[in-house]
Amino acid sequence: MSETSTLSSANTDLPIKVKRKRKRPVGFYLAGSWLFLIVFLAVFGWILPAPSWDKSFYDSLGVHPFHHSHILGTTLDGYDMFAGLVNGARLSVFVSLISVTVGGAIGTFIGVTSAYFRGKIDMIVTMAFNVMLSIPNLVLSLSLLSVLAYSDENHPATIGRRVGVLILSLTIVIIPILGRIARGATLQWSSREFVLASKSMGTKNFTIIRKHILPNVAPAILAIGFLAIGSVIIVEGSLAILGIGVPGGASWGSMLANGRGNIAYSPWEVYLPAGAIALTVISCNWFGDFVRTSLDKRESKI
Amino acid sequence: MSTLLKIDDMSVRFQTPRGNLKAVNNVSIELLAGESLGVVGESGSGKTVLSRATMGLLPGTATRTGTITYEGQDITNLPKDEVRELWGTGMAMIFQDPMTALNPVRRIGSQLTESLTVRLGMNKKDAKEKAIELLKRVRIPDPEAMLRKFPYQLSGGMRQRIMIAIAVSCEPKLLFADEPTTALDVTVQAQVLELLTELRKEENMAMILVTHDLGVVAGHTDKIAVMYAGDVVEYAPTRQLFSHMKMPYTEALLKSIPRLETPTGSRLPVIEGRLPDPTKDEPGCPFANRCPYVTDKCRAEKPPLTDGGNNHFYRCWFPIGGVK
Repeated sequence: MSETSTLSSANTDLPIKVKRKRKRPVGFYLAGSWLFLIVFLAVFGWILPAPSWDKSFYDSLGVHPFHHSHILGTTLDGYDMFAGLVNGARLSVFVSLISVTVGGAIGTFIGVTSAYFRGKIDMIVTMAFNVMLSIPNLVLSLSLLSVLAYSDENHPATIGRRVGVLILSLTIVIIPILGRIARGATLQWSSREFVLASKSMGTKNFTIIRKHILPNVAPAILAIGFLAIGSVIIVEGSLAILGIGVPGGASWGSMLANGRGNIAYSPWEVYLPAGAIALTVISCNWFGDFVRTSLDKRESKI
Repeated sequence: MSTLLKIDDMSVRFQTPRGNLKAVNNVSIELLAGESLGVVGESGSGKTVLSRATMGLLPGTATRTGTITYEGQDITNLPKDEVRELWGTGMAMIFQDPMTALNPVRRIGSQLTESLTVRLGMNKKDAKEKAIELLKRVRIPDPEAMLRKFPYQLSGGMRQRIMIAIAVSCEPKLLFADEPTTALDVTVQAQVLELLTELRKEENMAMILVTHDLGVVAGHTDKIAVMYAGDVVEYAPTRQLFSHMKMPYTEALLKSIPRLETPTGSRLPVIEGRLPDPTKDEPGCPFANRCPYVTDKCRAEKPPLTDGGNNHFYRCWFPIGGVK
């Protein structure tokens, strides 16, 4: 008897409201806060009471980190590391965000429309994407930069022009990468019955794309977009090391390029920007992964 | 009553790597306003293609011949834009699987109001009111809460009701129901069919009910077309069909419905064999290899669609009950 009463009381005590809060892994918060910090520094870095990044301090050349006057030390030429990193964050975030956003938007538009309508245009688009993907990123950016932003003693290219061409070349690299993802996802979603159902109600094709295809394709694009931000930062660094990126230590890659000869005397000149790049790329990958899994939930519940 | 839809000699072919696939062969059907037609046949007999071809919802690999007249207007060669004008407001379709026919990432409300705002040009407030009214009509409890839900929160029967609400939202004159109850369990099937018949009678809406279950069409249709391998093999008013069945295939279909009276452990009645290959052109009746009454004539020559009187047509050399 007592057993039944406990059973019934247990039944009434059953939680009606099931706890919905998903526990996110620690990595999510770490990656999120690092990315937040980088974006914050990129936007508001100029407010911080740091020395100017392009001024050389002749009285303190090659000071090691945690020195009383320069918190992250200086380079052998006397440039402040902390100011350089903050300034580099601005350029790296600016370059990668713009190129991934613009390239992603163009790629998504091309990929989604060609996959939705199929036919000859789709064949041409697929072929074009494959051709673009077959050219290594670095080679493509390298050739674009050396042609469009050619620079020697007599014809110095401005930093603005260099950055512009850099963004353009990275955008071109991003278009086929995200375009292919968008195309693949659209192929999968546009054959689903709800698209046909909406069509059978007389909805126009572009309304269907906007209301039915894009919301379903978005998670994949977002996830790969975050990965792309990471790889764009790496490409930017590689270009700088090859000597055709942004000159004068204005970006993380550029700082790395300038400091690589001094690694024996002031290793922090290399380790600090390299660490910043590595942390940002890892955070982007993690964050993209979390975005994807959390957006996938609704589909997986069916 | 006036003729709403007239399909005349319609054939559908698909270009496939294996050759020309004959999905629908020379089908002629007439439907009055408010009338209900059942299209019955096993999987692959061309019922779904028939309904989609009538609407014009075929993929690019398909070719359609014959004429389709809707409300006295020949819509066979109408440009895409003008056909689209008919969709939703003239003809609408309910799909087989309500699990996949709703967009998983959008709320019920936005999917339900989509055609109202896009097709009928309603503003958001009116569309929402109309959506609530529609949900009430398809018997959904607490319609206002329903508008905010996602498809994954609903059961199959609920989703099919939503699909019906979407399909009838623009008050079509002709509703294609493509196996609307196949994905649902039996108790819900009956409710959904009742609902469809009720809505049909209220709105004087014609319906083409596509199904493989003769039991489903029995109580809910005025006439029935039985399809086999792309052909209409028997076409008659519902009462006439069940009382004077002519085709051995229809008889076999009816026999293959499992019955409660049969003793446990006995074999389920099935139609032995398979549909003929739709890419091949073979002589004779396509049902010959599976027919219990087959003769040499059946294997040699394909029977024509014969008028058996009382609006009863059949495609057989030796119909059940004999030739009149």
